[in-house]
Amino acid sequence: MSELLQVRRVAKTFDAREGQVVALRSIDLTVLKGEFVSIVGPSGCGKSTLLQIIAGLVPASSGEVLLEGRAVVAPPEGVVYLFQQYSRSLMPWLTVEKNVQFGLQNAAPERCAHFLDMVGLADFRARYPWELSGGMQQRVAIARALAAEPRVLLLDEPFSSVDALTRLDLNGLIMDLWTRTGITILLVTHDVEEAVYLSDRVALLTRRPAEVAQVFPNALPRPRSPVDSREDSRFLALRHELLTRLLQPA
Amino acid sequence: MFTFLRVHHLMTGMQLRGFAVVIGLLLLWELSVRTGAVRSESWPAISTILHALAGGFRTEGWGAVFGSSLYRMTAGFLLAAVVGISLGLLLGASERLHRIVNPTLEIVRVLPGPALIPPLIFLLGVDDALKIAVIAIAAVFPILLNTIAGVKAADPVHLLVARTFRVPRRRVLLEIQLPSALPYVFAGCRISLGIALIVTVVTEMLAGSAGVGYYIVSMQYAMRASEMYAAIILLSAIGYLINRLFLAVEQRSIRWAHRVEAHV
Amino acid sequence: MTGRLKALAPGLAFIAFWIAALEIAARAGWVNRVFSPYPSEIAARMGQVLGSPAFLEALGSTVGLLAAGYLLACAAGILLGLAMGYHRPTYTLFEPTLELLRPIPKPALLPPLILLLGLGAAMKIAIIFLGALFPVLINTIQGARTVDPVLVDVARTFRRGSLRTVFQVILPASLPLILAGMRVSLGLGLILVILSEMLTGSDGLGAKLVDAQRAFRVQEMYAWTVVLAALGLALALSFDALERRLIFWSSKR
Repeated sequence: MSELLQVRRVAKTFDAREGQVVALRSIDLTVLKGEFVSIVGPSGCGKSTLLQIIAGLVPASSGEVLLEGRAVVAPPEGVVYLFQQYSRSLMPWLTVEKNVQFGLQNAAPERCAHFLDMVGLADFRARYPWELSGGMQQRVAIARALAAEPRVLLLDEPFSSVDALTRLDLNGLIMDLWTRTGITILLVTHDVEEAVYLSDRVALLTRRPAEVAQVFPNALPRPRSPVDSREDSRFLALRHELLTRLLQPA
Repeated sequence: MFTFLRVHHLMTGMQLRGFAVVIGLLLLWELSVRTGAVRSESWPAISTILHALAGGFRTEGWGAVFGSSLYRMTAGFLLAAVVGISLGLLLGASERLHRIVNPTLEIVRVLPGPALIPPLIFLLGVDDALKIAVIAIAAVFPILLNTIAGVKAADPVHLLVARTFRVPRRRVLLEIQLPSALPYVFAGCRISLGIALIVTVVTEMLAGSAGVGYYIVSMQYAMRASEMYAAIILLSAIGYLINRLFLAVEQRSIRWAHRVEAHV
Repeated sequence: MTGRLKALAPGLAFIAFWIAALEIAARAGWVNRVFSPYPSEIAARMGQVLGSPAFLEALGSTVGLLAAGYLLACAAGILLGLAMGYHRPTYTLFEPTLELLRPIPKPALLPPLILLLGLGAAMKIAIIFLGALFPVLINTIQGARTVDPVLVDVARTFRRGSLRTVFQVILPASLPLILAGMRVSLGLGLILVILSEMLTGSDGLGAKLVDAQRAFRVQEMYAWTVVLAALGLALALSFDALERRLIFWSSKR
C-alpha cells in the first residue's frame, strides 16, 4: 500500500484574547492508501483542528500536509471533510436529494440516488433535513460526502451527538461503505471503542499542546461484527491500553 | 354556527372591554357632532364620513384614485426590490465594497425623504418618473440593509461545507448566501412595501396631480372634510391588507426558516 | 480615533469622487449647469445661507418644534407602553384602539390637522407627536412584555412594589428596545416636521427649501438639501452616541 497522506511537523497556534494558544505542537502522521485510521485524544487537544488542517480548511502555522506528494494549502480535490455539527451542515432550504447533489459541479442525479440508497435513505429523497432524525441527517451528510467520490474522507466526531444505538448503527454503515468503496478514512473521535472497532490503526494524541503520543496498530481481524468483535480479546486489549493512557493524569 | 361559537369563545370579558373602548370613542365622535358640541366644517360625523366612503365605491371614484397610487407604489417598490436585493447581495458578500459604499448609504438614509423631492423635480420633472424614483429611494433601504444582514448571517458551517466541496464563488453566493438571506429579505420587503405606500402618498401631496395624496390635499383645500377622512380610512385599510397579504406569502414561502428555528 | 478615520477613508473617498465628478460635469457643460447640482456654487450658497439670520430662525423653528413633539411622544409612549406592557388588563383595554390607529399613515393626517389646527406650531407639534408616538409605544410594550421573568421575580422576592418594579427593573431592562423605537421615531418626526413645513410654507428649513425651489434658486435649493442632510446625520449620530452611553451593558450591541 502506498502512502497517501503525510502530515509532517504540523503545528498550529491560535491568537486568543489571553494571548497565544498552542493547539498543536508538532504532529507527524502517515496514512496509507485505503487505510482506516482513527485519531483519539483528551477533549480540547486539537483533534478537530488537525483534521481541518488536513482538509485544507485551516492553514497550519508551520509544517506541511502532503497529499500524494503535493502540499495541501486549500481544500484539495478528492478530500471531503464531514462536519461534527451535521444538522447545521445541511442546507435547510434544500431537499435531501438536493443536499446530496450540492457538492457536485454537475448534478448527476443517478449517482446521488445510488449513494442515498447506500445509506438507506432512498425513500426520503424529497424530504427536508429538518424532517429527519439526527442519525438520518448524518447519513445524508455521509451520502453527500460519498457522492463527491473522494479518495480521502475526514470524519470529525461524526457520531458524538447521536444516541448509543444509532451510533452503533452508523459505525456499521461507515465500515460497510469503507469496505465497498475502498476509500481512505481518517476518523477523529473521543469514543475509544468506536476507534478500536473501526480502524486499522489508532493514533493517540497528548493533551494540548498536542503531539502524537503513539500510533497503535489494531490486531482485530476483519470482517468485524458489532457484538462479537467487541468481545474479542484483541479489541479489549487495545481498548484497555488506550483508555489507560487517556485517563492518566497529566 | 361554528364560527359564531369560535368568536364567542375568543372574546373574554377583558377583551370585550377593549372593543368597548373603540366603540365608545367612535360614539363620542358621532355624538360630538350630532349634539352640536363641536361645530366645525373640519370635524364631520362618522356617519357622514362613511357615507362619503360608500359613495366613492358606488361611483367607482376610489378605483381611479387608488389605482393610480397603487400603480406608482408597485413600480417604485419593484425597482427598490431589484436594486436592494442585488446591491445587498454584493455588499453583503464583499466587505470591501461595503466599506466603500456605506458612508454614502448612511447619508442618504438619514436625509428626510421629502427633502429629496424639490431637487429631484429639477432633475426628473413632476411626472411619474419623479415619484417612482423618490418611492424607490425611500423603499430601497429596508431591503438593502436587511439583505446585507441576511447575507452576513449565513451559517459559517454552510460556508465551510462549500469550501470542502470546492464550490465556486458564484454558486456560494446564489446557493448559500441568497437562500440564507431570504427570511431577512422578505422582512425587509414587507417593511419597504409599507414605506412605499406612505411615500407614494407624500409625493402626491407635494408634487401630484393624481392619486390618494393629491386627492387628500385637494379635499383639504376644498374643505370637503368627509371625503378627506374617507380617503384616509380607505388608505389605512388598504395598507393594512397589503401588509397582511405579504405576511401570508412570506410565511408560506420560507417554511423552512421557521421550521429550523423550531427544531433547534 | 485614527482607526475609525482609516475605516471611513474608502467611503469618504467615494463621496469625494462623486462631488468632483459633478463639479467637472457642470464646469464642462456636460450637464445643465442651472438645474444640476454644481458643487462649488452650492458651497457658495451654503456660505451665504449659514451666515444669514434667517437660517438660525429656520433651524430653531424646525428643531424646536421637532423636540417638542418628539419629547412629548416619547414621554407618553414610554409611560403608556410600560403600563400596557406590565399590566395585562391595561393592555387588553387599549390594544384594539392601538391596532386601529396604527395602520393610518401619519403623513396622511397632515391635511386634516391643517384643517383643524391651522398652519402654525400647534399643527406641527401635533403631527410630530402622532407620528413619533407609535414606534416608541409599540417598542416599549414589546420590551416590557419580554423582560426576563427572572428579573421580575427578583424584584418580587425583594418586595418591591409594582411602581418601583416598573421603573427600576422593567424600564432599564426594556431600554434597548425602547431606544430602538425612539430612533425610528426621531427619523419619522424629522420627516413629518419637514413635510409639514414644505406643505404650509411657513417657518422652518423645509419651508426655505420649497421657497428656493419655487423661486428657481436652484443651487440655493441644493444648499438647503445639504443642510437638511447634515441635520439628519447630526441627529442620527447624536442618538447613536446617547444610545451607546445608556446601554453599554446590553449584549445585543
